[in-house]
Amino acid sequence: MLEIQNLTKRYGKFLALNNLNLHIDKGEIYGFVGPNGAGKTTTMRIICGLLKPTSGNVTVDGIDALSHPDDIKRKVGYVPDFFGVYDNLKVMEYMEFYGSMYGMERSDIDEISEGLLELVSLSDKKDEFVDTLSRGMKQRLCVARALIHNPDLLILDEPNSGLDPRARFEMKEILKNLGNMGKTILISSHILPELSEMCTSIGIMERGQLVVSGKVDEIMNHSKGIQPIHMRAIAPEYESTDAGKEYIATILKEQPDVSKVTFTEDEILVSFKGDEMQSAQLLKHLFEHNILVSKFYREKEDLESLFLDITGGEQE
Amino acid sequence: MKKKLRMNPILKKELMVGSRSMKMSFTILGINLFLILMVLFVMMVTNLNFRYSGYSYSSLTALFPVLGVTEGILLSIVVPIITSGSVSGERERQTLDVMLTTPVKPFSIAIGKLSSAMALVMMYVISAIPILAIAFVLGGLNWSALFGLIAMLLYIGIYVGSVGVFCSSVVKKSIAATILTIAIGLGIVIGTTVIFFIWRTLIAYRATLNSALNDIGNAPLIFLFNPYSPMVDFMLRSMSSISIYDLVEDSIPPYTEWIYRFWMPISIVLNLLIALGFLKLAANNICVTKNRKKAK
Repeated sequence: MLEIQNLTKRYGKFLALNNLNLHIDKGEIYGFVGPNGAGKTTTMRIICGLLKPTSGNVTVDGIDALSHPDDIKRKVGYVPDFFGVYDNLKVMEYMEFYGSMYGMERSDIDEISEGLLELVSLSDKKDEFVDTLSRGMKQRLCVARALIHNPDLLILDEPNSGLDPRARFEMKEILKNLGNMGKTILISSHILPELSEMCTSIGIMERGQLVVSGKVDEIMNHSKGIQPIHMRAIAPEYESTDAGKEYIATILKEQPDVSKVTFTEDEILVSFKGDEMQSAQLLKHLFEHNILVSKFYREKEDLESLFLDITGGEQE
Repeated sequence: MKKKLRMNPILKKELMVGSRSMKMSFTILGINLFLILMVLFVMMVTNLNFRYSGYSYSSLTALFPVLGVTEGILLSIVVPIITSGSVSGERERQTLDVMLTTPVKPFSIAIGKLSSAMALVMMYVISAIPILAIAFVLGGLNWSALFGLIAMLLYIGIYVGSVGVFCSSVVKKSIAATILTIAIGLGIVIGTTVIFFIWRTLIAYRATLNSALNDIGNAPLIFLFNPYSPMVDFMLRSMSSISIYDLVEDSIPPYTEWIYRFWMPISIVLNLLIALGFLKLAANNICVTKNRKKAK
């Protein structure tokens, strides 16, 4: 459905996109993650025809987005990260306005809008003025608006930003429904656990490049073995706390899978790359050196850890 | 298959949103109150003259040009205010990007914005007809003059509105766009006048050498680019049956006579082409692929 090849975008000396390559299959829900300035919004704006790239190719459903921007506009629905609404325009009129921008007939717009407003749970608000809606409702309305022309590809830039937990949940359900309806969705978000729950594939961007991309399961497998161990331990042979800490750190670092030991106020954080067996060996190693362990657990595997690992801890 | 005629969606939306706003009602009220003040002013001056030289009904014929010019000036102030927010307002509201992801062309957006301003101009002009009708009663106005004035005001509205849409596409803030539109309007009026006087001075200098003192050459032609010059020609024709040609016929080269005879249509066409140029430039500025937005 979406194919991006060697996409580069320069703003003067700043390289926003650096030879980006991306492939999204039809019906996929693709999650785009990355820190600020990674190039997510730039990529999305280029796909929608809002920005011209410095070089590279973008095709949507086999159509070149750069040479046929008008055809692409009928294939893509875009929900920007920041958007405004018109004062004195009712919800249904808002839908009619955008429907007419696509040259749709009034009767078709009304019929489709009814269905879309139901999809985003705004049927009861159709006669209300748009500027009286809550932020979450406006966001849902914007999704309905982006679907008015039945696009093949829906692009959502940070659709959950600024939403309360309830509104986020509702948005997630809407996107899941759209996924079930077979829509191809490209979504960027900084709320990674939510992305992993609803996306079929994930891409992590860093400095204008896609550093990791693939199915969520495959990426989760990548993330295995990078979670830190949280533990609480005492070295009874040492009276001074500092000497005890030093001894524990030395014993931990004897293990080749331990890369870093950090002492926090009430626990020890061990950067550990081994698997389950190796973590059990680590625990045994501690016992063998008379270190008493009162807490020992491995952090759960999730995209957040992978994201932090790849992006060096910088997060949006 | 027959293509259905569609109303520009932006025009439709603007009319709907505009009709719900009290701003339009207050503007119509303000313009009409000002026109009433002008009527009272003309009548007051006529009454004052009565004390000294008897009542002169002929002086009431001044009502029509006074009202026409006043309305033209008011539109030249109001239209920039309406159009200044046309594109910059969309940017301020962050609705322009979404609009540009639809198949609507930037030029259609510019045309939609101008035509919605023109619809308001029509409303202002029509609402002022009862006040202009006073000139009917008191003299100085006939039907052709009335329709001519309406057409002239619409033409001024199109010109100033196009400049307004262009300025709105150039600057980010609506207030700056209003000031820029008025400044461009004044610049054209003052600029053409200044060029005329410099040109005429140069011609006069050469004429002194050639003893052709009355000759002003082609200097007045610069006023073809002054959007208000057709209004002057129209007023002269309506009120005194003379035209710009009659004012300059003794001082211009014979080969340019036809231009002065058809001053009004030539100048209107020329200025409407300039207005079209402003709209094209506005469309070019609206086209976001040329905008520089920082990467996120």
